[in-house]
Amino acid sequence: MRFNLAAAAALFLTLGLVLLGAQGSPAQDAAAQAPPIKIGLMGPITGPWASEGQDMEKVVNLMAEEINRNDGVNGAKVVIHSADDGGAPKTATLAAQQLIAENVVGVVGTYGSSVTEATQYIYDEAGIIQVATGSTSVRLTEKGLTRFFRTCPRDDEQGKILAQNVKGLGFKKAAIVHDNTSYAKGLADEADALFKTSGVETVSFEAITPGDRDFTATLTKLKTQNPDVIVFTGYYPEAALILRQKKEMAWDIAMIGGDATNNVALVESAGPAAAEGYYFVSPPGPSDIKGEQAAKLLDAYQKKHDVLPSSVWAILAGDAFGVLVEAVKNTGPDPAKMADFLHKDLTGYVGLTGPISFNEKGDRIGEVYRLYQVDAKGDFILK
Amino acid sequence: MSGVATGGDGLGARLGPLARLSGLLGRVRGLGVPLPVRIGSLVLFFALPLVFQLLGLASARYWLDVLNVVGIYAILALSLNVILGYAGMFNMGHAAFFGIGAYTTAILNTIYGWPIFLTLPVAGAAAGLFAYVVARPIIHLRGDYLLIVTIGIVEIIRIALTNNVFGLTGGSNGIMGISRPYLFGFRISQPFHFFYLIWAAVAITVVVFRSLEESRYGRALKFIKEDTVAAEGIGVDTNGLRLMAFVVGATFAGFAGTIYSARMGTISPESFNFAESVTLFTIVILGGSGSQRGVILGAFLVAGLPELFRGLDKYRLLMFGAALVLMMIFRPQGLLPPKPASYRLPPPWDKPGGGEGV
Amino acid sequence: MEFFLQQFTNGLTVGAIYALIALGYTMVYGVMKLINFAHGELFTLGAFIGYALLVTFGITGRVGLGLGLAISVVLVAGLVGVAGHVLERVAYRPLRHSDRLAAVVSALGASIFLQNAIMLSWGANYRSYSADLLPSVSVSIFGQSFPLLKILIFLTAVVVMLALWLFVHRTRIGMAIRAAAIDQGAAKLMGIDVSSVIAVVFVIGPALGGIAGLIVGLCYGQINFGMGQLYGLKAFTAAIIGGIGNIQGAMVGGLLLGLVEALGAAYISVAWKDALTFVVLIMILVVRPTGLLPERVAEKL
Repeated sequence: MRFNLAAAAALFLTLGLVLLGAQGSPAQDAAAQAPPIKIGLMGPITGPWASEGQDMEKVVNLMAEEINRNDGVNGAKVVIHSADDGGAPKTATLAAQQLIAENVVGVVGTYGSSVTEATQYIYDEAGIIQVATGSTSVRLTEKGLTRFFRTCPRDDEQGKILAQNVKGLGFKKAAIVHDNTSYAKGLADEADALFKTSGVETVSFEAITPGDRDFTATLTKLKTQNPDVIVFTGYYPEAALILRQKKEMAWDIAMIGGDATNNVALVESAGPAAAEGYYFVSPPGPSDIKGEQAAKLLDAYQKKHDVLPSSVWAILAGDAFGVLVEAVKNTGPDPAKMADFLHKDLTGYVGLTGPISFNEKGDRIGEVYRLYQVDAKGDFILK
Repeated sequence: MSGVATGGDGLGARLGPLARLSGLLGRVRGLGVPLPVRIGSLVLFFALPLVFQLLGLASARYWLDVLNVVGIYAILALSLNVILGYAGMFNMGHAAFFGIGAYTTAILNTIYGWPIFLTLPVAGAAAGLFAYVVARPIIHLRGDYLLIVTIGIVEIIRIALTNNVFGLTGGSNGIMGISRPYLFGFRISQPFHFFYLIWAAVAITVVVFRSLEESRYGRALKFIKEDTVAAEGIGVDTNGLRLMAFVVGATFAGFAGTIYSARMGTISPESFNFAESVTLFTIVILGGSGSQRGVILGAFLVAGLPELFRGLDKYRLLMFGAALVLMMIFRPQGLLPPKPASYRLPPPWDKPGGGEGV
Repeated sequence: MEFFLQQFTNGLTVGAIYALIALGYTMVYGVMKLINFAHGELFTLGAFIGYALLVTFGITGRVGLGLGLAISVVLVAGLVGVAGHVLERVAYRPLRHSDRLAAVVSALGASIFLQNAIMLSWGANYRSYSADLLPSVSVSIFGQSFPLLKILIFLTAVVVMLALWLFVHRTRIGMAIRAAAIDQGAAKLMGIDVSSVIAVVFVIGPALGGIAGLIVGLCYGQINFGMGQLYGLKAFTAAIIGGIGNIQGAMVGGLLLGLVEALGAAYISVAWKDALTFVVLIMILVVRPTGLLPERVAEKL
């Protein structure tokens, strides 16, 4: 054993600590007046959901720059520490440890429910506030964690609105299609359960594979069950392909989906002709967000990156950042006081997606879901 | 080196212009680290976390957790090394056995309330048994065909887990609320605690496989790898031994699954997919197939490099891919290939003054 | 019956694309005994170069539909072929005489690199070939309407396969390829420049993959940097089912895989269809350990 692995490993550990120490120091120099407020951002910067994570990062950075230009929070600069969760639970646990090591007071993120779940206890044990942005799975806020919040609504809320709208639009026989991700399956189950009590028959319950391009076999099969609506609970790429392929096979059937299909790329990819008439329920998307704050941010975003964020999730990350800053402003950078503030005293705060306050579980209060339909030009029209 | 036959020293020369670049590593290897230093650095490796913990360094927890991930990968890669390195079977589905171990622990713990450490033998046995059942009909397949079949197995397992097979696996949500392990009443929860648990497990794995490697069985496996036909010719039960390698490797992957479940607290199918198998495969080949030191170094690089590259943000996987290609080009036999077996020659009688290695 | 025929044709379309990609795996494997894990990313690259030409540059609007498409196919094939060649030079050639697994890991590294390079060049978002790029014409067969495009895909795949077969079996270069596939050493002794053969193979294989990427873009309209992973795995499976190293085998394997998927989804379960394809793969290999139409290479036992 001439190459000494143990020595190399010990060296690695020491080096890692030194590196980390070095990373930490410039921030301390910059804050001459008050120690900076460190806020973590955990998002999928690489991996299958990289577009969401990169948008999240852009929005949050933009907001932080704006705050720092205006003298920061109570005179202190805001510093964003980004950590890539790769859209995978295992990478996320390390991202969480990294952010904890950097002494952030709160963390914005993340997108996927199962990814968030893998980090919840880590942040909780470290006493850090986590504000999830796209993790809609119900059970995340059913664990009694006092420092976990989310700016996105829950799947049961969405399932309820989805089922109401399917019934309200007069559909009787639904073919439910999900993609076996934790989010889509959860929403599909919610919708299915509610259909049973509201007199809509579920004629088919199928799971497609995300990443597949050809769904003609599935559609041909669904067609034999004679549904009058396809309820698709997955994400926009597959929704676009299904819309396009059902048009190509000249199957004229209504389709309704959930908030993961609220993305302008849906229409681009399906084509306006195929997307026309598609319904979905969602919190208001980037282009429907009214209010001065949102307009200003989106304007700045467009100036800097040429396009708008492609989905609502990046905006919800902005809201998560916003509530954290609001809490620091009122209580100082103390996670315990901040959590208390967010639970009880956050009233009258207006975020990018409207007024935000949280209940005792950390869920956002208030109905945020709207029904949209795609029109002939491919625009999302609020119903 | 009188009387000792070695090979592989001409390696640098054969690499030609690349030799200069790999020279640094070669020189490090040539130093011949004395035993006290070796033991000293091992002690240092295990003592450092304790020191950091006592000093209360907050940043330690992240790097310790990186080491924990490296350690779990090291156990997995060491177990794959039995199949891929010793027996030479292209197994690109090792994550399947890992997953079965992890899910066994998770199910026994969350549904039946077993303490984590009690599930360990069951998880290993389940993974081993599964390996026996699936590998039996395919053990005769040649290299790349075995590779795709093992990919098939890991994909089938992932899809089965995702579709909530037997109503036990929780579908795509996976299983949450796996309890922390208790050791003699002590609750293992912090990265610092897991460090000792995981690296003790790595040490045990190293010792077990080291003795396996040096056993009759281990040498028979190497023989099969080098020349299956010759091994069969002299009456070695090649398929039986290969199957056994599969089962042993899978069993340890199952153990790793238990530790993984305990560390994560929640598991889901995507952690046991094809990509994960590819990662393990890469660790073994990059480090040096058949060499324990190599495999552990591989685990450091493959699990550790992307962490070191975190500062590169979205460029980190790009750099990681390029690094993989470069490392293979400069060290095609792996970074630390197994040392060639050395055998003492009989005392020279025809050449006074010592013989050359043959 | 009508349902069956419909699903059968659905499967053939999907299978034809798998077959086109599988040809790339099989050609490279035939000569180099290397599983080119970066092939899926070359396929993705083809889709993105097609996107650059057809959408960003709008070539069909400038020179007309037919000519625009023809230029796109040629450019995609050419550029991806060049990329494949560079890949071989950089990542595989230095490892030609090393252990085969070293090349496999190098291929995996190249695959990660290419995938992320594509992500950084074109962004992480999904990109779309506009739906009105091609006129949507449907043809009625067995009383069912099929998009003309799908039929063209199938025909393209068959034509490409035939052309490739003729190239390998009826030309001098093809003969050299076959010779190198059987025994590189002997081929060298016969005066065949094996390096050139490998270079040729590494242009043709990626070029076919690139064309497949373009076709997927045209047919489904949606591309992203990670699309090569799933297609690559499926096509690789197809190549193995057919007997890797064998051109007809890739075609048979691809079509069979497409059919298993479509019919599996239709009659068994949509959620389990991918598992089913691997079960079929394993069963075929248990019975025929080198695939349906094995490479015609004398085994050293």
